[in-house]
Amino acid sequence: MNLLSIDLNHPAHYLTAGPISVSYGNLVMIGLVIVLFVVALVLPFPSHDDDERS
Amino acid sequence: MSPQLSKHDPAKKWDGPTRKYDLIKEFVIALVVVGLLAISLAALFSSPDEPALTLKSWAIADAPDFVATATGELAGTTVSAGYGAPYNTAAEGQVLGPLKLQKWAGVRIPINPADDFVIAPLAIDNDPAVVSAIATWKAASADQQGKWANAYADALSKAPKATTLPDPTGAFGPVPAIATGLYGLARTGALDGLLAAGDTPLPTNFTKPLLFLADSGTYFPDYAGARHLQGDQWGVMNETGSYPGQSWLWLYSFWYQIDPFKSSGNADVLVMATMTILSLALLFMPFLPILRRVPEWIPIHRIIWRDWYRRKEE
Repeated sequence: MNLLSIDLNHPAHYLTAGPISVSYGNLVMIGLVIVLFVVALVLPFPSHDDDERS
Repeated sequence: MSPQLSKHDPAKKWDGPTRKYDLIKEFVIALVVVGLLAISLAALFSSPDEPALTLKSWAIADAPDFVATATGELAGTTVSAGYGAPYNTAAEGQVLGPLKLQKWAGVRIPINPADDFVIAPLAIDNDPAVVSAIATWKAASADQQGKWANAYADALSKAPKATTLPDPTGAFGPVPAIATGLYGLARTGALDGLLAAGDTPLPTNFTKPLLFLADSGTYFPDYAGARHLQGDQWGVMNETGSYPGQSWLWLYSFWYQIDPFKSSGNADVLVMATMTILSLALLFMPFLPILRRVPEWIPIHRIIWRDWYRRKEE
């Protein structure tokens, strides 16, 4: 299993701009959350036409 | 409540659009997907593997800092010695305007750093020099103890690489022997156990060793700083290594990076007060003027319910 794993136990890299300092790991997670949010908005809600009425 | 909302009879059956929804099915799917994701990611990335910091690792890695901090505990000049509640009454602590919140919380975990971190653990040391030094320390007045400890702390600060200093004039009293004795105890790892098990049969209470470690002048802050874990480095949302951390705490962490928070001695309580106000604003958003119009300006809800709005317009 160790052969397949990616070792992240090494010093992180940071994106710094003024008072902002974000690690690339956090940046990836924040990006994923935003993408998931947009996808959840855009993807159609799974349903059948006969399930709904308005 | 607005007049429009008050017109609705809560007992009346909903006659708007409905949708069949299998909650159990969604729960099972979510459980399986999240479970597989968690197992796969854990297998792929493993977990942070940073070794725990201990008093032993501190004494071995930075002996001069350990001895200087132990001397500071005897002198009563460390952070924990002057912290105030819940450990002692040495300071008023954090306040919010006239509200002395920290002081009002009271001394709930009484700790005397000199006695608890230094003198009490050395009771197990049978070295005659240490036994004699402890007896001399206990027999002295608080004023005399302070003079000895402060004199030795001053001397150590002028010799930052020293772990012990000669005392030809006797100005340091028993302090060098006590500090050296504690250093020896820490190097073996015994001090970690003694401080963690001092109040309980099992070594489960790490309050004292953590406070002592946090008093470190260079070892602990440098170690945290190198890993971007300090408060002014967004440390609240960082993890050791290159792992993602608690990025959802970005807003809490943000305030510590800007004035007036970052330069305030009351930063913690100021940040908590700010976040409380912001949380209440979010909670009561439908009732707040201007803010309640945000959905009109940014109509995300119309994307979520786009089918219903489309049919309504048809």
